[in-house]
Amino acid sequence: MILPLADVPAPHIDYKGLSPLIALVGGTVLVLMAALLRGRFVQRSLLPLLTLGTLGAAMGLSIWVWSPGDHRPIVESALEVDALALSLSLVFYVAGIATVLLAHRSAALSDAGAGEYYTLLLSSVTGMVLLAEAANLITLFVGIELLSIPLYVLCASQVRRRASLEAGLKYLVIGSVGSATLLYGLALIYGAAGTTSFAGIDRALGDTVSLSDPLLLTGIALACAGLAFKASVAPFHQWTPDVYQGAPTPVTAFMAVATKAAAFAIFLRLFDSALLSAQFQWAPALAALATITIVVGNVGAIAQDSLKRMLAWSGVAQAGYILAGVVVGTQKGLEATVFYLLVYLLMNVAAFAVVIARERVSEWGDGMRALEGLGRAAPWLAWPMTIAMLALAGFPATAGFIGKFYLIDAAVDGDYAWLGVVIVAGSMISLVYYLRVVAVMWMGPMEVRLPSLPGRPRTAKPVGGWSPEADAWAQPEVTLVAVACAAATMFFGIWPNPLFDLVADVGTSLASLVG
Amino acid sequence: MLQSYLPALVFLVLGGAIGGAFTLLNGVLGPRRPNPVKNEPYECGLPSEVKRSFRFGISFYLIAMLFILFDIEVIFLYPIAVQLKAFGVFALVETLVFIFLLLVAFVFVWRRGALEWK
Amino acid sequence: MNVVWFLCLSAVLFCIGGAGVLIRRNPLVVLLCLELMLNAGNLALVAFSRMHGNGDGQIFALVVMVVAACEVVVGLGVIVGMYRNRIAEDVDAMSELRG
Repeated sequence: MILPLADVPAPHIDYKGLSPLIALVGGTVLVLMAALLRGRFVQRSLLPLLTLGTLGAAMGLSIWVWSPGDHRPIVESALEVDALALSLSLVFYVAGIATVLLAHRSAALSDAGAGEYYTLLLSSVTGMVLLAEAANLITLFVGIELLSIPLYVLCASQVRRRASLEAGLKYLVIGSVGSATLLYGLALIYGAAGTTSFAGIDRALGDTVSLSDPLLLTGIALACAGLAFKASVAPFHQWTPDVYQGAPTPVTAFMAVATKAAAFAIFLRLFDSALLSAQFQWAPALAALATITIVVGNVGAIAQDSLKRMLAWSGVAQAGYILAGVVVGTQKGLEATVFYLLVYLLMNVAAFAVVIARERVSEWGDGMRALEGLGRAAPWLAWPMTIAMLALAGFPATAGFIGKFYLIDAAVDGDYAWLGVVIVAGSMISLVYYLRVVAVMWMGPMEVRLPSLPGRPRTAKPVGGWSPEADAWAQPEVTLVAVACAAATMFFGIWPNPLFDLVADVGTSLASLVG
Repeated sequence: MLQSYLPALVFLVLGGAIGGAFTLLNGVLGPRRPNPVKNEPYECGLPSEVKRSFRFGISFYLIAMLFILFDIEVIFLYPIAVQLKAFGVFALVETLVFIFLLLVAFVFVWRRGALEWK
Repeated sequence: MNVVWFLCLSAVLFCIGGAGVLIRRNPLVVLLCLELMLNAGNLALVAFSRMHGNGDGQIFALVVMVVAACEVVVGLGVIVGMYRNRIAEDVDAMSELRG
């Protein structure tokens, strides 16, 4: 059968709206080509600077494109540039910049080659932006694969460490099962609705397609399971602790915040815009998933000794909280979800930065004991970690409190009051493991050991001459990220108005939720 | 709204119950005479011991992988080639951009020495 | 031909692939099974495309083919890396990370 394609007009492309993506792709190509140049200057300084420049340029262009309340379908409505996509793009760029800084002295960088590392990071960010802007099923799938495939490689990038390769392969296999499930679900949704565009599906639902169409319902269930793999929502979360622990820590930090934000971006777009008419069908199931996720994540985190595993389980629990904002399917839910993702970026990056700083110098690696006595030894690291833990637990005067409050408010407002209660109960359980970290840092015995930095063999200094504070400043970029993110967490906890203004713009971006 | 989930619940309960019942019956009624061979994981048609000394050429895999990648990209050229007249200049420009990106990848692979047979 | 038969075949392929990923121990065979799952999705897409008489599904299927190739290449790359470090004969033996 020959499809009727005769005389197709050239699609309308809005290059202004597309400019952040063009900048990202251009930067990726530039970094890849620059990686071919030899020389210490290129490998150590030029490549990270180019990567940071690309991310900075994309961020600038995203802010330039920003216009509140504007839905801008570009490239024949394959992509949609609106406040939701742009605000979450900011999360990806900031996470990317933080990862470049955190990875500056990482062993993965020399193992895999700096050029490859940064190229993969940039392609992953490109995939995330594409995913956040996706307005039809095809761009959705391309985006999710463009973000995942580089991440599989990044996880395995410490090629001389067994655990890193193992994490890479595990993530690849499980991630691909998730992708295949998602794809099958998307195929069934396409089969039911007869179109791939989100707007078209929204129109077809309840009009030409019955809401109890088994094809549609199976498709939604499979797509939901596939996305749950990516967002590490229970019971599809089992890979999370293993992969988070095995991957190089800067990559873990990037996965924890950026992948999660990207997965929720598409949760919001798919469920709260394309499938909103079928809300009565999917909302109870998603609410059940959110409950299971909150319980499983919080209980799993309690017994962990490795900080990376603990943060992985805590990430699972947090995914449950965020899912509550999607379930309600209201404008407030959308705002709360985006607000929480923004805040989650700050608190999680601060925590991972401290883990990286300690992991490189402590003989305990990422174990809980690596933090012992940190409060007295290196307050520049201990304070950011304390703030991050309190914020993740949802203490007042931190941004985490406001984020959680916003989510609970949205849940109650959307007739899911019991989900709000579950969030509160989950937060209470989470105090056990978050406060344990704080206690270890501030109440443990002070330890003075001769640590060593990777790549620079330490000459044995007399203990009296070694100051832990100097050690914290031996990797200034990591400390800088930790302090900056923790400061921002506190700042937005006390004065959240800038974020409120931002998410108010986001709230109007999904036409299906407005009015 | 929750009524629509009733069939799914019935399905889950029935599935779990039947599966569980058979496992339980098997465990209670069946004879149990374990020996080391029986306890090994079994894969139909495969030796249960995976060979440890498996030799392969790494350059062969590398070339094969690169071949798959560059080969499969050609897929995007077919639809455009068939309908180029209908699409016009725009499609041609887009195709050139696409080929340029492929060239960048090719240059990278080539300069990195991945195409040399070691 | 009725589209239902294509769907049945694709569902069977999807299940075979899923079962293979779960029970096979050789990482290469696991990758093969992943391909099977993705291609089951492809078959469904093409069948629906024919049913609806629009090209969306066919374009989608083309994209999926490329993505599947990328995934398998990355998988092979990781497996080659593991063979070089002599650790990847059996996915059951990968238990460095647990707890």
